[in-house]
Amino acid sequence: MYIQAFFVAVFGLAAIGFGVVVFRTSSMVRSALALLFSQTAVGCMFLAMQSEFLGVLQIMMMATEMSIMAIFMVMFMMDPGGLGGMDMSHQKRFSLGAGGIAAATAIAVALLSDWGPVTAEAPDAAMQTRELGFEMLGRSMLIFETAAVTILTAMIAATATAIPAREPANHDHKETSR
Amino acid sequence: MSIAIVLFALLVTAWFLAMIESWTATGRLHPAAPLLSGLAHLGRESVVPRTPDRVFFETAPVLLLVAAMLGAAVLPLAPNLIIADLATGALFFNAALAYVLVALIMGGWGPNGAYAMVGGWRFLGQLIAYAMLIVMPITAVAMRAESLVNTAIVGSQESLWNIVYQPLGFVLFYIAAMALAFRPPFDLPTAEGELAGGVDAEYTGVRLAVLRLARLLLVVTLASATTVFYLGGWHGPLLPPWAWSLIKTLAVAVSMLLVGHYLPRIREADLLGWCWKLGIPLALLNIFIVGLLILVVP
Repeated sequence: MYIQAFFVAVFGLAAIGFGVVVFRTSSMVRSALALLFSQTAVGCMFLAMQSEFLGVLQIMMMATEMSIMAIFMVMFMMDPGGLGGMDMSHQKRFSLGAGGIAAATAIAVALLSDWGPVTAEAPDAAMQTRELGFEMLGRSMLIFETAAVTILTAMIAATATAIPAREPANHDHKETSR
Repeated sequence: MSIAIVLFALLVTAWFLAMIESWTATGRLHPAAPLLSGLAHLGRESVVPRTPDRVFFETAPVLLLVAAMLGAAVLPLAPNLIIADLATGALFFNAALAYVLVALIMGGWGPNGAYAMVGGWRFLGQLIAYAMLIVMPITAVAMRAESLVNTAIVGSQESLWNIVYQPLGFVLFYIAAMALAFRPPFDLPTAEGELAGGVDAEYTGVRLAVLRLARLLLVVTLASATTVFYLGGWHGPLLPPWAWSLIKTLAVAVSMLLVGHYLPRIREADLLGWCWKLGIPLALLNIFIVGLLILVVP
């Protein structure tokens, strides 16, 4: 129990540490990969809490998601390498206030909630996976399907937006050239 | 004890593979060639390029090595010869190898070189093509075994190997495994002659030695995964189980080298197009067929 708590704390601190790096660096790739390792540390926290499937899934998903995010940040930011001295921060006072309130709320919820009795032993990992499968294909199916359709719609919309429009300018060009 | 044996088996297989690779390249079979080549790398100067992203530059080769070894840690050589027989073994294998991509992006971005960077981002593009063709065939394999435990997956093939039960899945997984190992014809991130080595271009000395070892271990891990998921793992007559696993792994790894030796490098756009328009529908069809077989055939 104490060893588990120790590892949860270590990975939690690592997650916070990498989270801080995300905002301390000017390089978009460093920022994206720091976020990746922060999320990986969260995955390791799941593992330390004997939630094997969720931990492994988190570690797997974040690697590809954050890498893809890195290339989008490099593509769209003006100073992807962070060598131009661009300052990305803005609304600093508002951000500090909002961050402080959010952190205080999260800590208050964690401390004041009634979490119920501590489970002495988690079900074994294979049973957890099985139960998660039944949950996802049963009670939670509607939520997951809604999320999936929303993401698919966003992907199609993003692709449609990215396709260049047919150029009416060509007609003008042809007309003027005539 | 299992850890030591599995690591030793990994290294021996990687050494054998390096020997075959050197044989196909030079035409001479020299058992000590990998060792001499490794020692030569250690003796050379390990140059650091100008203004690198030092953390990424140093981390990339080690991360690639760790990812390959973690992938191998959940693959059984024999019923009791496995480093970690996780309840989510098949998923963990994917999770470990997802960090191959991270390592290559780091290795591409870190040295501050144009060829390396193009190589690193190319691998990201390549992943978008093949990633589903790794995961979806494994889904069908897990469906048959009704488990994500890799020893259970081998156990499910006792009477009939998956290469016969789901040949379509095997073909897709084999191609995607070669793309994940960035072996020819999928060597877009390194692309000698086109990108001057790409991700490898700026690495020398000890760092290059680690990178090359990691690439060899990655091929061995993926060949071992092909054995576990499709070739019945340790099952086979007469010989002990571990021997069958090693023989099959070596055969798959050598076949990957040979296929790459005779095929020209594929274009990125073609890889993306074929994987998305052909590969993913076929992988879905494979899952559908396996589902039908599970329901219909007792």
